[in-house]
Amino acid sequence: MKLLELDGVSFNYGSQLAPVLQELKLSIGAGQCHCVSGPTGSGKSSLLNLLAGVLSRPHEGDIWRHPELVTGLVMQDPQTQLLRQTVGAEVAFALENLGIPAENMLPKVQLALRRVGLFLRLDTPVSTLSLGQKYRLMIAAQLVCEPHLLLLDEPWAQLDDHGVSELLAVLRNLIAEGMALVLVEHNAAAFAEIIQHYWQLEAGRLSEGIYTVNDAPVQDVPVRAWGGAHHLGKVLVSAEAFDFCFDGCQPLFSCPQGFQLHAGEIVTLVGDNGAGKTSLLKSLAGMLHLKLRLPLKVLGRKPKLGVYGAELGLLLQRPSRQLFETNVLAEMQFSLNRFELPTARAEQMLLDLELSALAEQSPHKLSYGQQHLIALASLACLQPKVLLLDDPLAGMDKEYYRKVWFLLKRLSAQGSAILMTSHRLVEHSAVSRQLSLRQGLLAEEAIGMEERYVG
Amino acid sequence: MWVSCRRWRLRARRRWSREKQETTLCALSLFLVCVLSACAFVLPADLLLPLAAVNGLLVLHGLAHRGSIMGVVKLGVIQLTITLSLYLLLYGVDHLAQGAVVVGRIILATIPGWWLCITAAPERIGEVLSAFLPSKWAFVVAASLSLLPYMADEVREIYQIQCLRGARITPKALRNPKNWPELVYCVLFPVLIQLLKLSRQMAVAAQSRHFGKSTRATHWHSPRDKK
Amino acid sequence: MNKKLPLSLQDSLFIGFCATLLVALTGMLRLKLGLSGHSMFLMSFFYLICYGVLGRFGSMIACGGIAGLVAMALGVGKGGPMILLKFILPAIAMDLVALLLPLTLGLHWRCVILGIVGCMAWAVKVALTNALAGMALDVVLIQWGASVLKGGFFATLGALLVPPVLHRLKAHDLLHRDKL
Repeated sequence: MKLLELDGVSFNYGSQLAPVLQELKLSIGAGQCHCVSGPTGSGKSSLLNLLAGVLSRPHEGDIWRHPELVTGLVMQDPQTQLLRQTVGAEVAFALENLGIPAENMLPKVQLALRRVGLFLRLDTPVSTLSLGQKYRLMIAAQLVCEPHLLLLDEPWAQLDDHGVSELLAVLRNLIAEGMALVLVEHNAAAFAEIIQHYWQLEAGRLSEGIYTVNDAPVQDVPVRAWGGAHHLGKVLVSAEAFDFCFDGCQPLFSCPQGFQLHAGEIVTLVGDNGAGKTSLLKSLAGMLHLKLRLPLKVLGRKPKLGVYGAELGLLLQRPSRQLFETNVLAEMQFSLNRFELPTARAEQMLLDLELSALAEQSPHKLSYGQQHLIALASLACLQPKVLLLDDPLAGMDKEYYRKVWFLLKRLSAQGSAILMTSHRLVEHSAVSRQLSLRQGLLAEEAIGMEERYVG
Repeated sequence: MWVSCRRWRLRARRRWSREKQETTLCALSLFLVCVLSACAFVLPADLLLPLAAVNGLLVLHGLAHRGSIMGVVKLGVIQLTITLSLYLLLYGVDHLAQGAVVVGRIILATIPGWWLCITAAPERIGEVLSAFLPSKWAFVVAASLSLLPYMADEVREIYQIQCLRGARITPKALRNPKNWPELVYCVLFPVLIQLLKLSRQMAVAAQSRHFGKSTRATHWHSPRDKK
Repeated sequence: MNKKLPLSLQDSLFIGFCATLLVALTGMLRLKLGLSGHSMFLMSFFYLICYGVLGRFGSMIACGGIAGLVAMALGVGKGGPMILLKFILPAIAMDLVALLLPLTLGLHWRCVILGIVGCMAWAVKVALTNALAGMALDVVLIQWGASVLKGGFFATLGALLVPPVLHRLKAHDLLHRDKL
């Protein structure tokens, strides 16, 4: 049974702006699973909103819907979709809006929660759930209306491996029950076992196939021959053994051996969502005020916000948050001005990254990948001694992925110590060491260079 | 099995009526809070002691609900120091007692609000308020309140990031109003952009869950296991 | 200006978030800076942002009303029902005066005038509280004048920052409206 069909649909966010979607053709039937892949900012989310019928702006072309079609949309960030405080209230939100009497809600809510495999008390506070659980809760909040078509936006980027396998089990059952599914996914491979139709979206055009970021180890000669065990650079960050815990909470993780960062190395910190990677980076930058001070030494002193000036750089997730200047060049020069460094470095940096064309543009009109790169580049201009990056590779497209690595390699060659987090293993020749944060334990994990080159 | 099912339904129904009671209770406490706060201002000084006793009970009740009184205490201490030093400077020692009474009234007006925050669930308050507000605005208030921690984190993070980027917005720098524009450009402006995006996302999220479809929305009552 | 259509959910949420942020920041800055009158800075800033972004009658009143409700629910500041007045009185005054101001007047001037109007209404509330809490009338009046002066400075500062922020938002194509 056909549920929805797009024919020659185009869409833009303003008449002067470039069209987000162009001449789309797509047909979705019951029990089908479609996957749309493409780089961040390519219009995947707009496509989902279009399918869900919640786009506020008009579109061109024809959209045919089955007269009784009910769609469910789960967007990217669960945090901005959680509208209530408890699990039960969250799932019941849609029922409230449909005017279903309160006494009829309970069985529906319980069924929806069971279908996504959440066996929790209904008054469990939403804030105590893991990200994976929150994601499944959002699905339950849609299932409660019994939709025929479920639209999911980038589940892989939100979830860790455990969360993905839980979600896969849920989705497999839903498809078997005849529900149609459209996944918008940067990494289609993770859901390969349920996907039947692959699409890729690039520059507004939808075509069959899978969009992949080519991140196979580049067969170049490593910039410096760091051995796996001995480091030549100066120790810039050091930590003795510690337990990390938020005030009044159980320890989040412990680090029995401590760790060190040396000048000129790129170290990855790999762990699941919520394991404490971001918190560790923040404490290294002096952004967290914990009662129990961690035995950290960054550049020879205890971390405190703002004491390092240009010597420490931190890039958190969603760097578009920090952009405020009217054009890209001014944005990159802001820190240079404040730290009284030569502003010519910004122009040079844009030149090196082949981004000079963006210099006069508004940073908020750039694509996600461009914004991310600009934020990183404005840190790189400062040539910090320690650079902390929170998941800098998530959701990047091909072009910017390479440029990020170009920047990182250059910085490390200049003697910066780089610590980057990731919720997945980073396969790249430039990575000198890996710290892993698993099951509440932070420790160095041996991954020999040789091993990777052989692979 | 059928019998147990019926019994379950009966129990469920009893539970609903108890939930309704809870809502009524919340409405009453909201009203009480308004009255008590108003009392703190209008009552003559000699009746303030009994009012303080009532507020003391509220504090005890709030503490029993594991609320933290530190915020109110801090506020009271700061208010007291500022007001008393102002009174001392402006009117001399004689009027200190008067100043203390004024601060006392202000604190007495604060305590009921604090108590309400601890004892009443926000969705209950939202439900009570929605009786007076159009449902859209009731939702907006509830959503804003529940997103407050998220927004606070967001503001703090943006503030800290900009500090790291060298912006002149440290508390010390902000004592000089010359640096306030920097705070607006570096922190408030990006935050506003985030709020614009957030409001769009939330509106889509709510609409994708049929918000505004029915003119008479119902309210969920969380069954609490009482064993 | 479109006054007939009801506010969209998105706009209402934006007003709500602005109001909540206003309340939260007011509370935070009070503890950090200990400057009095600074709340007028944030208040005039956020109300005028709502005015500028939505560009319609009632947006400031809505923002003030929600700010009052949120402040009441959070117990921020001098809790209780008085807080509602503190937030909504300036909003009502500003919205009403905004109706009277000709649109031909520059945005800068409109913002400054509205900021000062808001400040005067805000000071009325302070005077009312003080009078209710039992201060002598002449003291109340002196304090009202002092509040207007003190708050006026901060309100003007806040109001002056609104037009450049609005222009930036527009330059970034984040406002899909042409209502300035």
